[in-house]
Amino acid sequence: MTMGWKSVHRWLGLTLGTLAMVLGLSGALLAIDPLQQAWQAPAAAPGLPVATLVQRVQAGMPGVEEIRRLPSGAIAAFGFSGEQAQALYVDPADGRLLGPYQPSSMPRWVKNLHRALLLGDAGRWAAAGAALAMAVLSVSGLVLLLRRMGGWRQLAGRVRGTLAQRLHVLAGRVVLAVLCLSSVTALLMSASTLGLVAPGAGPEPEVASTAVSAAPLPAGKLPLLQDLRTGDLRRLNLPDATDPTDTWQVTTVQGQGWMDRYSGQTLAWQEATAAQRIDDWARVLHTGESAWPWAVVLGLSGLSVLLFWATGVLIWWQERQGAVRIADNCTLPQADVLVFVASEGGSTWGFAQALHGALVRAGHRVHSTGLEHFQTTPATRQVFILAATYGEGQPPAHARHALQRIAAQAAGAVPVTVLGFGDRQYPSFCAFAQAIEQTLRARGWPALLPLECIHQQSSQQFARWGGALAQALGEPLAIDYRPRLPPTTALTLVSRRDYPGQDGRPTAILRFSWPRLPWHERLRGHGLARFAAGDLVGIVAPGSAVPRYYSLASGSADGFLEICVRQWPGGLCSSHLLGLKPGDGTQAFIRSNPGFALQDRPRSALLIGAGTGVAPLAGFIRSNDGRTAMHLYFGARDPARDYYFEPEIQRWRDEQRLASVQTAFSRVPGGGYVQDVLRRDRERLRALLAGGAIVRVCGSRPMAQAVAQVLDDILGTLGLSVRELKVKGRYAEDLF
Amino acid sequence: MSTKPLLTAIAAACALALPAQGQARQVTLTTQLKNYGGDGAYLAVYLTDAKGAYAGTLWVAGGKAKYYKHLSDWNRLSAGDARRLNGVTGASVGAGRTLKVTADLADALIDAGYEIRVDAAVEDMRDSPGEIRLPLTTQNAGKPQPGRQYIQSLTYQLQ
Repeated sequence: MTMGWKSVHRWLGLTLGTLAMVLGLSGALLAIDPLQQAWQAPAAAPGLPVATLVQRVQAGMPGVEEIRRLPSGAIAAFGFSGEQAQALYVDPADGRLLGPYQPSSMPRWVKNLHRALLLGDAGRWAAAGAALAMAVLSVSGLVLLLRRMGGWRQLAGRVRGTLAQRLHVLAGRVVLAVLCLSSVTALLMSASTLGLVAPGAGPEPEVASTAVSAAPLPAGKLPLLQDLRTGDLRRLNLPDATDPTDTWQVTTVQGQGWMDRYSGQTLAWQEATAAQRIDDWARVLHTGESAWPWAVVLGLSGLSVLLFWATGVLIWWQERQGAVRIADNCTLPQADVLVFVASEGGSTWGFAQALHGALVRAGHRVHSTGLEHFQTTPATRQVFILAATYGEGQPPAHARHALQRIAAQAAGAVPVTVLGFGDRQYPSFCAFAQAIEQTLRARGWPALLPLECIHQQSSQQFARWGGALAQALGEPLAIDYRPRLPPTTALTLVSRRDYPGQDGRPTAILRFSWPRLPWHERLRGHGLARFAAGDLVGIVAPGSAVPRYYSLASGSADGFLEICVRQWPGGLCSSHLLGLKPGDGTQAFIRSNPGFALQDRPRSALLIGAGTGVAPLAGFIRSNDGRTAMHLYFGARDPARDYYFEPEIQRWRDEQRLASVQTAFSRVPGGGYVQDVLRRDRERLRALLAGGAIVRVCGSRPMAQAVAQVLDDILGTLGLSVRELKVKGRYAEDLF
Repeated sequence: MSTKPLLTAIAAACALALPAQGQARQVTLTTQLKNYGGDGAYLAVYLTDAKGAYAGTLWVAGGKAKYYKHLSDWNRLSAGDARRLNGVTGASVGAGRTLKVTADLADALIDAGYEIRVDAAVEDMRDSPGEIRLPLTTQNAGKPQPGRQYIQSLTYQLQ
């Protein structure tokens, strides 16, 4: 069985992620050191000749034995005061002694925890394992992020989902690269510490100073030190006062050199090896020791591991709670009916559960599993495939190789029936189910029923299909499908604006408030999800199990939830909503509408709506803080009866949230439909569309078809089409 | 002063490359570290002859080859000795602890200008090549010798 990126990410995160969290937090503590060192002492000018630096330090500390340029750029000098070893910061400008030098302000156990979990060599291996896990988590996280956002270009788009999911994705987008770099550099450092790669340089050369004159040269006379700049210096060891043959020894970025204390000649030079340079770079990148702003970045990304771990555990737990469980799932060899499911969010499993239950009650032995396991056995009599289509016609991630698997198998005599799930809003409605159907028929598999495509998880359509199935099987089949509703939140009506409407169908703009829960409640998935204009609110009317969806005319940021509701003849939900008085409540949940809601800030937008379909468009305009050029085409019947949002539209014009508004009223003399106004404004629209404007259409299906026809004509002159724009995500419809 | 347990290491045998093999004597070296406030110290205990040339390694405390360059004198002098680590390595020695090493030394090495030398290094602290240089003489036996930075005292006993 192959593990997908998601399983790898999840299980690695839940296991070794805990260890990675310990490393992240201890790493964040260690990142304080570079910050503190940058504070403690001034950095030396990189261009300062080392010869000058040595003279200054010697003036301040006559017995100095070693001078180090710390990664922060500060200068530390080492020597002895009597028997006591001394380590002091020195001001490189004048040789003033600044105070004691401490390699780290953290207790030593922090570092040992970070690199060895306080367990010595075994701990080092474990820490390296955690670093490897972190690297794999970063890479799998990137794959999942790209999959979720829909590719590199949409990477910066709006993040949807529960609070835990959003935090996980938002933080991932920011620190993923840093975490990946941290783990790779950690692996490099581990490899050299654990002796997996050979240490760079060979043995030091055998060198000694030879006394040719009485007095040793002062530092200022040494050619190598005159040429060397402080920026390149790592460490300088002065010759031992008591050993006449001792030499100067200097370590720089480029290598190591030894100098005769009498002649000043360079006795030997060892170039830094490639392995040493890689090691140095890994260290600099991993610790941030030479640039405190980078240390801050590293520290924050170390802290973020805690956030990833906590939100990751929450996401796993919430998904577990919401997972569909199939009762009476028979084993594959014994089953006479097989149900294969391809589901991205899990909702298709809800349908599979209903089908499975009905078949079991009808006396069948049923086995339900993921579509990636497609196969038949000698006992199989019927096969059903329930396949959802994801995004622009892609299969759900777990079933992405299923099509090849089906194509690779020889056809059997058992009927295989496909049921597709999708959304007509997308140009490739049920494309994956269609591809499966075509492949099966091309291979020669028979079918009990032709392909049926269910739009927006319609339970009515599914019930009809169930009826047809019972007939084809020749046995009674009681499919009991109850849509799995997300937990609802009680909304309270704040205010309403009533419109008389037409044909005795009143309409109202309803504004609700929702209870604000503390963040830890929201993190656990409670409360109303975040929403934006164009997303949907599902309202569950009392006495109804089926939610009705309304397009949102506001976003969470507006602080209220607004919808435009028109009386539906005999409609349970619209009657319930229109009967609400301020202070009354209703049960609701949010369903995101990613294809329709505005993802990122477009340059210009063409918003076309009719009737209550203006609601989400009004929401877009309301939240247009970036002053995108938005052009509204609004069709209604009578300005006196159903010009929704009229005062707001005027105000938004004045605030430049709305660039222009054109209206069409069909029930006034000389009036017309919105598509007529579009046709009239053909040239203007041509220019807008040529300039890259996005299009949003909301209203009835016939109106949307008429609009699409007009725009297709205009786009045709530009060598484009509505279909092409839909594929690119520039054109979207919200229909009712 | 230190209440920490002794860290005892026994060097089973030291086959030193010597000009003449005579009678062997057992030498016990006791190295007491200061409380210098750092991680475990890397120590290299070795012998040099009258001319200052490397004569053999008695003990190396600390197992990571990556860090041997910080024991710079020993690392340089012993570079030609392929067997310098054979059977004479152990863990690094924590601050305040004691390292006890036993070695068999040929009689010819004692009172012959040979020197016991110790290089020491501690992570994030200053390297200390030549931490201790102590002539290997009968007279010096039993006399504690202080180190420059990390070693409180080194004492050897001849048996």
